[in-house]
Amino acid sequence: MSIKVEEKTVAAPNATKAEPRSGGTSRWVNMLAFDKVGAIYVWIAIVIVFSFWAPDTFPNITTAKQILNSNAITGLAALAVTIPLAARVFDLSFALNMTLCGVAVAHFVVDGIPLGVALALGVLIGLAVGLINATVVVVMKIDSFIATLATGSLIQALITLVTNDTPISDAKLSGGFSKIGQTTVGGITLPVLYFALVAVGIWYLLEHTATGRRLYATGFNPDAARLAGVSVARLQFMTLVTSGVLSGATGIVLASILGGGSPTAGTPYLLPGFAAVFLGATQLKNGRFNAGGTIIAVLLLGTGTTGLGLANAPQWSGALFVGIVLIAALMVTGLQRRTTLTARAPAVDEAEPQPA
Amino acid sequence: MSVSENVVGAGGTSLAPAQTGTVLRVEGLSKTFPGTRALDDVSIEIARGEIHALMGQNGSGKSTLIKLLAAYHSADAGATAEMDGAEFEIGKTVPHGLRFVHQDLGLILELSAQDNLALRGGFARGFGGRVLWRQQEAETRRILAAFDVDLDIHRPLAAATPVERTVVAIAAALQGWDGDGVLVLDEPTAVLPHDEVQRLFDVVAQVRKRGTSVLYVSHRMDEIFALADRVTVLRGGRRVGTYDIDGLDSRKLATLMVGNDVDPDFRADVVARTDTSVTLEARDVHGKWLRGVTLEARAGEILGIAGLAGAGTLELPYVLAGQGGPLASGELRLPQRSEEWHDVRSAGQLGIPLVPSDRQTEGVIAEFSVGENLSLSSLRGLGRTGHLSGGQERQLVEQWSARLGVVTAGPSAPISTLSGGNQQKVVLARCLAISPDVLVLCEPTAGVDIGTRVAIYRIIADLAAAGLTVIVASSDEGDLLALSTRILVLRHGVVAEELATDGLTKNELIRAIEGAGQ
Repeated sequence: MSIKVEEKTVAAPNATKAEPRSGGTSRWVNMLAFDKVGAIYVWIAIVIVFSFWAPDTFPNITTAKQILNSNAITGLAALAVTIPLAARVFDLSFALNMTLCGVAVAHFVVDGIPLGVALALGVLIGLAVGLINATVVVVMKIDSFIATLATGSLIQALITLVTNDTPISDAKLSGGFSKIGQTTVGGITLPVLYFALVAVGIWYLLEHTATGRRLYATGFNPDAARLAGVSVARLQFMTLVTSGVLSGATGIVLASILGGGSPTAGTPYLLPGFAAVFLGATQLKNGRFNAGGTIIAVLLLGTGTTGLGLANAPQWSGALFVGIVLIAALMVTGLQRRTTLTARAPAVDEAEPQPA
Repeated sequence: MSVSENVVGAGGTSLAPAQTGTVLRVEGLSKTFPGTRALDDVSIEIARGEIHALMGQNGSGKSTLIKLLAAYHSADAGATAEMDGAEFEIGKTVPHGLRFVHQDLGLILELSAQDNLALRGGFARGFGGRVLWRQQEAETRRILAAFDVDLDIHRPLAAATPVERTVVAIAAALQGWDGDGVLVLDEPTAVLPHDEVQRLFDVVAQVRKRGTSVLYVSHRMDEIFALADRVTVLRGGRRVGTYDIDGLDSRKLATLMVGNDVDPDFRADVVARTDTSVTLEARDVHGKWLRGVTLEARAGEILGIAGLAGAGTLELPYVLAGQGGPLASGELRLPQRSEEWHDVRSAGQLGIPLVPSDRQTEGVIAEFSVGENLSLSSLRGLGRTGHLSGGQERQLVEQWSARLGVVTAGPSAPISTLSGGNQQKVVLARCLAISPDVLVLCEPTAGVDIGTRVAIYRIIADLAAAGLTVIVASSDEGDLLALSTRILVLRHGVVAEELATDGLTKNELIRAIEGAGQ
């Protein structure tokens, strides 16, 4: 049949393209491609810039440790919202949930409740917040963006109830409680370890389990996912429960670092947390919220802000840097997607049907 | 039988281009995407006042040609184009007289017909930017009056029927233009139920009456024979030729498109079964449209579901797959597995897979690869205790891609690089990979070209021969005749008639669907 020949010429560039899996070299080249890990190149550039800008203070191991230690909480916060975002569910209440769990545990410890019990209660509060969020979003079917803004307001009410808007501080808080976040091993604090552990857990969940795949399917096209047999509502419910527990635990670690319950502790992490996840989604697996990308993003943003501090740049430069990086990353990703869309070759059907 | 038997005339006689002159002429048009020549030296000439069809399989370059005309893509160098004798740069500028109605219509459904028209044509404004609503309303009525459509111009278009929306889109495209020009209609019937197609044809005839030429893009051959004067056929990015419709029949046209003798009246080699055991029973199924459907299907049977829009034809598959939504009620039973009846609202757990009607919004996940799309329903079986085994997944995907003949660069290729027909095969493979006893299909060949369409028919027929129960609902009689061993015709939400397909003609089926003689 004549048409076959014509079609082969059209389809050839597609059909002969090497699978990224097949060759060892092409696999590495593919992994290091700018559109996959562009932020790493930007990060290297930033490190070089600051090494010249602040040669006395920036390029040393202390700075590296400082960057890790001071960004572990941002990283944990970002990971907490990675799972809901993978399923396209927003948890805007996570920062207030952090605050609530932090002040609650501080309150319990000051009240003389044993540390273990206090911690368990704190995590349970996070779980309860997650369950409430999930109920409002999934059962009552309210858009997650607005719903978690509303539940955030409820959480704020509880925070004020517990603290009267004054920080909780007490000598009891400098005991075992402070060890959770302040213990250092070779200059690295424990929260960095927590960050690494949670990142590995989320990486495994999203990349290597059926649940992870179903979460992405839910996020990209909930209707198609439902028709393919994915329990969309149950997954969305679970993502909010997970982010409730994770952000609650993160808030407790933060309170331990701060050595007390601050009624505004979590709020500063709202924007950096989301910034890191969205920047992370432009890395490694383009368009998918993923743990590895989040780590890269946290390091990039953390290095930039720390470097600006060490270089004695003005106070406002840190926030400016985060804003510019985020816009640039999303713009580049958007451009890439548009080019691939318009350049997409209209594929050709084979003419001869080949039934089973 | 030939499809042209079923011609529903649109009025008007064929106009020979020589007598009336050419309104749009494009020559030497090519478009190269990285790695692919989507269009190769294509020319097209549209005569004044004619309805000119553009046909071709998926990937033949039809949509690329339309997108070049609309200056959505830029053309390769070397093309010449002129409209009404004036040259223009194709791919960069769009002449004033060239108007488009794209497949998605480009309307804002939350807004009224009046607002939609005004958004394109401009508002009548007075002092301080105030909209002169009375004047605006008169203008809207004047525009729509030309199309003989009775529509509440203040109601959101979401409440209008599909054909009314199409008419508003056509009116919006043509407003502010009284000259000859060319209206490009890209698959206008893709979203229309069968019984509304005739109304669209009337509107197209009215458009032609004002002297406007129509470039009509469609997959459906019977429409071309009913409507067009001439047809230009594309294949693999090249122009096969332009033909007078009078000299063609559906077989010839199909051959021109596919380049190979594919039978447009293909009938799958399946026999009606009454000897096998019943695999699916449904009783008293209600829904948004359904008003108490009871049916049973046997192993190895392909049960067709036919009916007009609103009869519940396209709702039934969703209900049977347990995806009927809050309005669905009724009971299902799989007698081979258990005697127990299940409520249709919890029937999702029965594992009856569905190939949904709208591939883009309900079938594929555009951001996923071919492999991820294919394996989505069978992830549980790939690996142990929640772990997803990449190796097992790859094996499953390759096995099914090969079985169904999916043309792809590999499991990790983005699904969006596949043609519609191949995407449909992936969705079908996803359903089959869970080894179901019963498979439900809704509009299985919508937006699928003839070659792949027959391939899909053959796959389904082979599966039925191997004992699978298939239920196929379609608004395309061709699907039902090609596949079914038995057809249930729905009217007003109930089973009105049961037809054996042996010897059934297309006209008989259409008469039954439309309830003629009732």
